[in-house]
Amino acid sequence: MSDDYNDNKIIQAQSSEVMGGSAGVNPDMDYVRPSELPEQDLYHGHTFLTKWVFCQDAKVIGVQYFLTAVFTGVVGLILSWLMRLQLGFPGLAGFMTAEHYYQFVTMHGMIMVVYFLTALFLGGFGNYLIPLMVGARDMVFPYVNMLSFWMFFVAVAVLMASFFVPGGPTGSGWTLYPPQAILEGTPGSGAGILLMLISLSLFVIGFTMGGLNYLITILQARTRGMTLMRMPLTIWGIFTATVLAMLAFPALLVSSIMMTLDKVLGTSFFMPTILKAGEVLEYGGGSPILFQHLFWFFGHPEVYIVALPAFGIVSDLISVHARKNIFGYRMMVWAIVGIGALSFFVWAHHMYVSGMNPWFGFFFASTTLIIAVPTAMKVYNWILTLWRGNIRINTVMLWCLGFIVTFVNGGITGIFLGNVTVDVPLSDTYFVVAHFHMVMGIAPLMVIMGAVYHWFPLVSGRLLSEKLGKWHFWLTFLGAYSIYFPMHYLGFIGVPRRYFEMYDSPYMTSAVGMNEFISLAAFIVGAAQFILIFNVIKTLKNGKKAGKNPWQANSLEWHTSTVPPEHGNFGDRLPVVHRWAYDYSVPGAKEDYIPQTTPPSEVAHTEVEKT
Amino acid sequence: MNSIIKKLFSTLLEKPWEEGQSRVDSAHSGKAFSLSNQMAAVFIIFGVSTAIFSLIFTGYLVSLPPEQDTTFVLKQNLLWINTFVLVCVTFYFNKISSDFGKNNFSNIKKNLIIVGGLSYLFLFLQLWLWYQLMNSGNFVSTNTYFSSFYFFTALHGIHLLGGLFFWGKVSSRILKLDEKDFPNEKRNVSALSIYWLFLFIVWLVFFSIMFVYNDAVIAWCIDLIS
Repeated sequence: MSDDYNDNKIIQAQSSEVMGGSAGVNPDMDYVRPSELPEQDLYHGHTFLTKWVFCQDAKVIGVQYFLTAVFTGVVGLILSWLMRLQLGFPGLAGFMTAEHYYQFVTMHGMIMVVYFLTALFLGGFGNYLIPLMVGARDMVFPYVNMLSFWMFFVAVAVLMASFFVPGGPTGSGWTLYPPQAILEGTPGSGAGILLMLISLSLFVIGFTMGGLNYLITILQARTRGMTLMRMPLTIWGIFTATVLAMLAFPALLVSSIMMTLDKVLGTSFFMPTILKAGEVLEYGGGSPILFQHLFWFFGHPEVYIVALPAFGIVSDLISVHARKNIFGYRMMVWAIVGIGALSFFVWAHHMYVSGMNPWFGFFFASTTLIIAVPTAMKVYNWILTLWRGNIRINTVMLWCLGFIVTFVNGGITGIFLGNVTVDVPLSDTYFVVAHFHMVMGIAPLMVIMGAVYHWFPLVSGRLLSEKLGKWHFWLTFLGAYSIYFPMHYLGFIGVPRRYFEMYDSPYMTSAVGMNEFISLAAFIVGAAQFILIFNVIKTLKNGKKAGKNPWQANSLEWHTSTVPPEHGNFGDRLPVVHRWAYDYSVPGAKEDYIPQTTPPSEVAHTEVEKT
Repeated sequence: MNSIIKKLFSTLLEKPWEEGQSRVDSAHSGKAFSLSNQMAAVFIIFGVSTAIFSLIFTGYLVSLPPEQDTTFVLKQNLLWINTFVLVCVTFYFNKISSDFGKNNFSNIKKNLIIVGGLSYLFLFLQLWLWYQLMNSGNFVSTNTYFSSFYFFTALHGIHLLGGLFFWGKVSSRILKLDEKDFPNEKRNVSALSIYWLFLFIVWLVFFSIMFVYNDAVIAWCIDLIS
């Protein structure tokens, strides 16, 4: 790490975040603190195996996470096609039985929520962006970071293995509610559920290793001048989501282990006394509701584990592509932290129909509605960032705008469902399916897509095709609304979710046309995602060279010594940060952006505070 | 804790875009806490472990049917002996810390070995307790009380084994060190010491819950009041 500053100029000047530090100001406007952190000793792989497979570079690990998560996402997508095939055109897929349908529902849900979205945001973007954006050479424990990915990889392998065991994967619904999840009669109640539980446990252990790295790197290994309140919101989102995950995933781990013991050793943590075909089973004394509490104590923060990184990323993308500083940076940080804290007090709104005390429901309805306040604050701030911005209507911006609209849509139906009296009749209908797919499926997916188009030039050095990108966006955006808007209506007329088919019910006649339409839209939206894969392959082969900093962004990841950045990220000298990441369109500045590394003396005549 | 909360709020109130704040921020070192990365990792692991154990305790309290005998395990002498062994481990770790202050290096080596030995003894006695319980017909699937007991003690044991792995690494290094290099290892020994203290606190909480949350104690309290 470089440090050519005269030691005589050292003064006690610290941000208030430094424990026990005192604040002070140096009259030299370009003053930076002499380096205190020792240079990180990095392990550089030389063979193919150590450079690309068992690699300790967080960027490679990020790409590995990303590709593995995308693979699971494609599996989840294919499963959703099969489900829609059955719902839109019952009997067309001859092999599809009710058992298969439930297995596909279960695996689709778990894959998309845990193995795709969580792994992609935290494992993929987290690994790639944290060291780059905070100005570190790598994660603080690179070896543990590598183990984290391989643990995730094994977890995915174990999960996928459940497709090939006798009885197939579990079909107990993605919430895996006992007692039926481990009792005969439920599809995959043998090896299927066991492999699911083992896979989840491995996932949590692997994630804890990764989370340890994310937190300590962000807290302790930032470069000089990078205070917490100068960090890009992407990092704030990933940081808070990681804190949530470290506290919420233990609930998933504990419940997975306890259910495994119920299945294997005959314990009764979640198993009440059960009468089966006139005979009392050996189980007894346990509580299935306890599992629901544990599951949703993980499950609801999980929504924000996915959403908070998406909030952070989209804030940065909007700011860069609207050439405006983010509106209300502090409020955005507070909102991220506030949403994170509140997310631990809302879990039982998923359990209104479990027979809970009505007062309990009232409490959770209140906390659920309170969470709408910081969330709405964020939406206002995104819109106000766009207001009078020099907006570039490129693919990245389209995805961001798509996200805002979709998130507002999904959020509003969330306010419906947060109320007990509205939730109870809608709980088992397609309204709920539409709500959570909009708010937690499509909305974060739009951010992922925007982020891919934004950061692909950093990873590959080439720009993705804008033309293909816009086709990709419009097909996905319009298609997603064709799927989920009608689903709200299906929910209102009472079409139940989790049904293999409607048989002779009245829903058969009233919903059949709509179901066919939704299925056709789902096939098109799914297929549209392959435009991105085609775009990536085409760009890697002969895409336009991006050069350094193609979006004229301020944050550190665009100011590395090489693009794509090499192992160690910043060449001989770590960057020094002089400002936050949002100085865009500053009056008096030569360019419409001032990178975080620009010292004040170079832009002394600008009016930074008037942006 | 108060100062951490105060610092947290003052951090969140900073205005990084203002010139005055910008000058203060530019003098920032990049570290949030005056801690080594290893110690920060230990504290984060405590956070995760606290979440795990709290959920297990909550689950235990929520799901325990009233008719189950929760006093059974407490009648086993071995449980009290095991607790005493953990008290001893904590005592010896405390001695190691004070020996670092007095530069009493031969005692540090000796006490590190004692700490490891006592920890392995604890694990052995825990297995012995399991054996005794199983001999008396109380298996993991007998009822939710015993399920919880075996589950908690197994997890606690696994945590201890994890600590022993790092104890092995640190101790083997220290035993080979010259006395002048001892202070370099102080940070690692402190991390171990805090880790053991945490495990001891978890054990005490579990022990207290078992002791307090059983019909006999509740009946005794009711008698006392009435």
